[in-house]
Amino acid sequence: MAKNTRGIEVAEIIADKCIACQICIGECPVGAIELNSAGVAEVDPEVCIGCGKCFDSCPVNAVKFEKKKRGKVSREKPVESGAGAPEHRGVAVFVETIDGRGAPVSWELIGKARELATRLNTKVLGFVPGSNVGEVAREAISYGCDEVHVVDDPRLARYLSATFGKALSDLCARIRPEILLIGATSLGRDLAGVVATRLETGLTADCTGLYIEQETGLLLMTRPTFGGNIMATIFCQHMRPQMSSVRPRVFAMPARDATRKGLITGHGFEPPAVELPEIVKFIPSGTEGAADIVEYPALVVAGRGACDQGSLELLEELAQLVGGVVACSRPVVQAGLLPYERQVGQTGRTVAPRLYIGVGVSGAVQHLVAIQGAGKIVAINSDPGAPIFRVADAGIVGEYRQVVPELIAQLKKRKI
Amino acid sequence: MHFAVCIKQVPDTAEVKIDPDTNTLVRAGIESMANPYDITALEEALRLKEKYGGKVSVLSMGPPQADIVLRQALSMGADQAVLLSDRAFAGADTLATSYTLSKAVETLSQVEPVDLVLCGKQAIDGDTAQTGPGIAARLGLAQFTYVIEVEWIDPEKRLLQVRRKVEGGFEVIRGPLPAMLSVELELATPRRASLPMLIDSLRAPIKIWDAGAIGASAARVGIKGSPTWVRAIASPQVHRAGPRWDAAQGVSAAVSEALDTLFSDQDFAAGFEKGWKA
Repeated sequence: MAKNTRGIEVAEIIADKCIACQICIGECPVGAIELNSAGVAEVDPEVCIGCGKCFDSCPVNAVKFEKKKRGKVSREKPVESGAGAPEHRGVAVFVETIDGRGAPVSWELIGKARELATRLNTKVLGFVPGSNVGEVAREAISYGCDEVHVVDDPRLARYLSATFGKALSDLCARIRPEILLIGATSLGRDLAGVVATRLETGLTADCTGLYIEQETGLLLMTRPTFGGNIMATIFCQHMRPQMSSVRPRVFAMPARDATRKGLITGHGFEPPAVELPEIVKFIPSGTEGAADIVEYPALVVAGRGACDQGSLELLEELAQLVGGVVACSRPVVQAGLLPYERQVGQTGRTVAPRLYIGVGVSGAVQHLVAIQGAGKIVAINSDPGAPIFRVADAGIVGEYRQVVPELIAQLKKRKI
Repeated sequence: MHFAVCIKQVPDTAEVKIDPDTNTLVRAGIESMANPYDITALEEALRLKEKYGGKVSVLSMGPPQADIVLRQALSMGADQAVLLSDRAFAGADTLATSYTLSKAVETLSQVEPVDLVLCGKQAIDGDTAQTGPGIAARLGLAQFTYVIEVEWIDPEKRLLQVRRKVEGGFEVIRGPLPAMLSVELELATPRRASLPMLIDSLRAPIKIWDAGAIGASAARVGIKGSPTWVRAIASPQVHRAGPRWDAAQGVSAAVSEALDTLFSDQDFAAGFEKGWKA
């Protein structure tokens, strides 16, 4: 163990483990830790008093420190008012309404909430702010809610951050759920930040995995970070609700059961006391390139290795044959060959088709995390080392100009 | 008009990876940069200033070396730069970050009221898109996310109208000032700094504010004000690793065997045959 000139055993940071979260910097009582120019925390041994707080607080065990017979103690944060109180019960889902119907992602989240609520031995709650949403509330029961709390008001006919933010945070304050899940649609992402701030609670965005920790009953939320290169597991110890947003198609759609029974309760709406924006008009996006790739049961995805105009015709033919549409990875959009709407990946769309055929897609992690939900993944790539082969159900190493025509020919035979 | 732009210094995320053998971060040679969405927000603020007059202030929370992104902002034409730097700010999640930034905007407003706060839609390292809405909620600003065009501002009537991306299309929405905009990349292409501006920016003063300077409560900033904590990190687990065939050994056989593997799953085969209709 390293000692400083005063003979104190000091902490050291293992540079390649440090994730620059800066928690230790905030914890250090003497200000001995700084982020260095490489973006790694560094302990000044002459300032360090050897208290070990950095060691205790580091989430990734990047601090080397000999703690005398104390072992690693669990981190304690000061408990703040309203925090983690046992009266918070139930796993709530914000139910988004699109054109008078529940958004599919809301049902997916109710399915996941069911699982979490079973582990916690509690109820699944649906929170439905909107206008004329009685039918949506009944649907929420069919998909698995035990209780649905509705705020039905004409002033909630169109989404505004201010009105929906107020309605949903008021519901949380009244019903006090321990967990609140929100679909990470563009509306959901706009709303989640408002609600978390109003409730002063923690929010973890774009989670791809949700679990209940056995010993603590806490919600563990896994999400990609650093552009999808790393998965971080986040938790929210003291504040409630534990909030998480989840992208569409990350979790499976639960079975719908129209005979399910549940309780629907109406609540009044108190509008926020601010001047509200006014929606002047809505312009639907044009049809050009607008095929919504997430709607198709099959995708033929062009990657860097199939990024030329000539390939598109071939891939279109394959896509038609398998009942799908052509999508692509980021380099193809950057090359201007296909519009952004067709992009699969962390910065594009998350997809879950029955069949995914990657043609010349190398499989950067950012792409792979967005296709996790696919039924079957077929990879065609001339580079046997391409990472996409690690996630494929079937892989063919070869030049796509040879493989794809053969695939088309054989599929045609099988179709007959 | 007083425009305040929030800028985050981020690592070039494409470079950050985990070594699969040692399960540690590989960060050799990773550069820091200004979050591209935030630079787009700055560009828009500069254009709005050119059109409607006023002043552009830029804010960044980070360690002392984050002053680089503020110097970049000054070189593009920002009028003043403030670095929020304090050990107490370290380890902040989005809740604590939006609190700190909102206190800084309040502090700026004491000298000259801020009319419009501009943020990038999200930062490329965290992708959370929560900080902008957090600032708006705390300051009671009208919130406009995913903005792709600022159509007009009426400084007299204290109104603005923007075009924003929503599910299935675009929305034109009008609301009161002060407001918060979070912007998409297509809003504007950032300008390049001229050489004289670049040189000036290196010598320009940057205000450094700590928690005391913005009147922030110690319990609400940094790690103490952050309800979310990281428990662990890992490489993404997306492995299936099915069989693989080499077309060099015969394209026809490779394709045929690959298809046999797929179609041996009867659900899949049935789905395919029915054109995926249930």
